[in-house]
Amino acid sequence: MGLEYQLVLWNKHKKTYDKIIAFSMLLYVILFAAITLIFNSETSIETLIIRAFGSLAIIMLHIILSIGPLSRLNTKYLPILYNRRHLGVSMFLAALIHGGFSIFQFHALGNVNPIYSIFTSNMDYGSLTNFPFQILGFLALLILFVMASTSHDFFLANLSAKTWKRLHMMVYIAYILIIVHVFLGAFQQETSPFTIGILIIGFIIISSLHIITAFKEVKIDKAKMEANTEGWLKLCEIDEIDDDRAKIFTVKNERIAVFKYEGKLSAIHNVCKHQGGPLGEGKIIDGCITCPWHGYQYLPYNGQSPPPFIEKVATYELKLLGTIIYINPKAFEEGTKVEPIQFVS
Amino acid sequence: MTSGLRKIHKYIWILIAFVIPILMVFSIKDLDMFSPSANSKSEITSTKSNAIKIAENDLIKASLIKKDSTNSIEVILKSTLKYPSSILYEYNGNNKKGRLIGQLTTVGIYNFNVKESLKGIIIYDAIKEEVITKILF
Repeated sequence: MGLEYQLVLWNKHKKTYDKIIAFSMLLYVILFAAITLIFNSETSIETLIIRAFGSLAIIMLHIILSIGPLSRLNTKYLPILYNRRHLGVSMFLAALIHGGFSIFQFHALGNVNPIYSIFTSNMDYGSLTNFPFQILGFLALLILFVMASTSHDFFLANLSAKTWKRLHMMVYIAYILIIVHVFLGAFQQETSPFTIGILIIGFIIISSLHIITAFKEVKIDKAKMEANTEGWLKLCEIDEIDDDRAKIFTVKNERIAVFKYEGKLSAIHNVCKHQGGPLGEGKIIDGCITCPWHGYQYLPYNGQSPPPFIEKVATYELKLLGTIIYINPKAFEEGTKVEPIQFVS
Repeated sequence: MTSGLRKIHKYIWILIAFVIPILMVFSIKDLDMFSPSANSKSEITSTKSNAIKIAENDLIKASLIKKDSTNSIEVILKSTLKYPSSILYEYNGNNKKGRLIGQLTTVGIYNFNVKESLKGIIIYDAIKEEVITKILF
């Protein structure tokens, strides 16, 4: 979270993650090249680059798509979620190298525009066996380009949360295009059951993770809460919430995050004003609730971003009876200060 | 995420979980990926029997055919060539390519009209500028 736009908003942790990403990408390409040259020494450098970066981009896309559901199933994955944006841009760069070299090798050596050539060199749309699969990869690359270029804070701030989110949900279209691109394209030449198996296993893992998480969320949404005579709803035992973390509850169809910090309890609306990130999956850093998606921060007792920022979310009133936390389901206006509940652990 | 976004994500992934396996099954079926002959050399055979010269190697089988006053060459490409371009030339001796005959693409039988005095043929990759294979009669 910064007041001025920077090309890349790095901090110590992000630098560490970025180094891991860069090192892993480099290691993969070197290993891929070495194994390819050992088993198929006639492979040209262009083909090697196309295959190495294409497979790297697919692996990275699978990792990116698994981060969201994994971090909902297990909070230990949250630090990766925090760095997902840089992983996404790195994946786009790998896909760009793959696409760029493919366009150069297969379409740039003729006398027509290479982009025009992609769409016209093979018009056999009615056949699966000879389908013009390169078009699918090209369209996926365009989507990834739009996503990577709008991931910067400037676009995050200037596009509405709704528009930005819809734009970035196009990753699912890109995923379908890429899977079909590989199945109809690479496998027209390389029909190795091993490669097909890896891709199928990847798809099963990713889709299972998302569907399991989705149904887990439905279960949370439908959970009935016990209400007392004054309309307060019973949430949980105080020990069920970790220090500097939150537990998320569904109250009147809205997700509310109850944070435990410095011997206090506060409740705010779970959805970040920035891009709708789940605040309850973040943690308290420097006294502020920190969104796991892009690091936007809010003070737990009033739901306001610390000055000079102006974002604010709704707050809720809590009470503690013995060791049980109760909530008043009626939300206060966004940014309303609510005195935190003090407790002795 | 808001409840609306959660619902959208759920429906998108249920849709993906149905659509992609269907596409995978169709493409595996159509591409004949697990057929033992899919990656092996084609067993295409010529139907012509009036060849005057025949030569063969691992990649191609070439037959010079004379019918009436016309000379032609039948080239059977046994397996896909892993080269960006594959142009067929007459072979003039001295390891050099002669007159252009035609272009080969996928596995199959190709027929071209040629001169009777053909010594052999060369398949040449014009992009990499290298000889893929040559065959002498």
